[in-house]
Amino acid sequence: MVHALREVHRVLAPGGILIDARPDSRVAAYAERRKRRGFQRFGVVNTSRRELTNDRASDCAIARAVHEGMFKRRRRGRFWHGVPFGSLAELRKYLWEHLRFVRRARWVVDEATRTRYANEPFVIRRAVRYEILERATR
Amino acid sequence: MSIDAAGLVGDVGRHVPAYSSALRPRPSDELAEWGGPALVLGKRVLDLGCGDGRFALGVAAFAANVEGLDPDEKGIAAAKKAARKAGARNVRFGVGAAQRLPHPDGAFDVVILSWTL
Repeated sequence: MVHALREVHRVLAPGGILIDARPDSRVAAYAERRKRRGFQRFGVVNTSRRELTNDRASDCAIARAVHEGMFKRRRRGRFWHGVPFGSLAELRKYLWEHLRFVRRARWVVDEATRTRYANEPFVIRRAVRYEILERATR
Repeated sequence: MSIDAAGLVGDVGRHVPAYSSALRPRPSDELAEWGGPALVLGKRVLDLGCGDGRFALGVAAFAANVEGLDPDEKGIAAAKKAARKAGARNVRFGVGAAQRLPHPDGAFDVVILSWTL
């Protein structure tokens, strides 16, 4: 990853901007039922161990690039993004197939509630973080 | 700018198919969170790990020109098709890896690593 950042540094004009955006694995995602007004939390979805490791490696690469003087940190932030699903079955299928998350949510509602609302719309609400870095002039 | 991806993907970079790009935030939403269109307005933009070009095409209306690069040949083929369909003239896509960029020094004002690192 540091090699890629060196290349980014090379192709950026002095004072140019690097934007690094990716899902924020440091916080859990949530499985929620979409209600007429708002959402009802059904479960917590953790990031897979492999993706946690990858994200930490990415953080280290950015930190190293900053430490080496390639970039200066300008601004960072986080926002929440909802991935929509037509039903609870669709949400579960997504979790099963998607590499970023663990395969099963940790439910915070009982089975009867899950069954009752199984065919209603759901979302996985997850955090996305970004950082804006400026190419150092050297 | 298209380069042979087979040699690159095999030894450098982690090849992640862009199959889930439709599940990401809309480009306009992401751009708004980062600071708005002014961030790319009139700029030369490189979208690294562009996948199917969704984000590159999303910022093309504001940027001077946009280049998208990804090791996924299928993703790039889809991106080129989408660019043709959208009639975007200031966007180019190519197959390649971030570790060996086929661009000269200082070629861009903004580089975007959206869900790439």
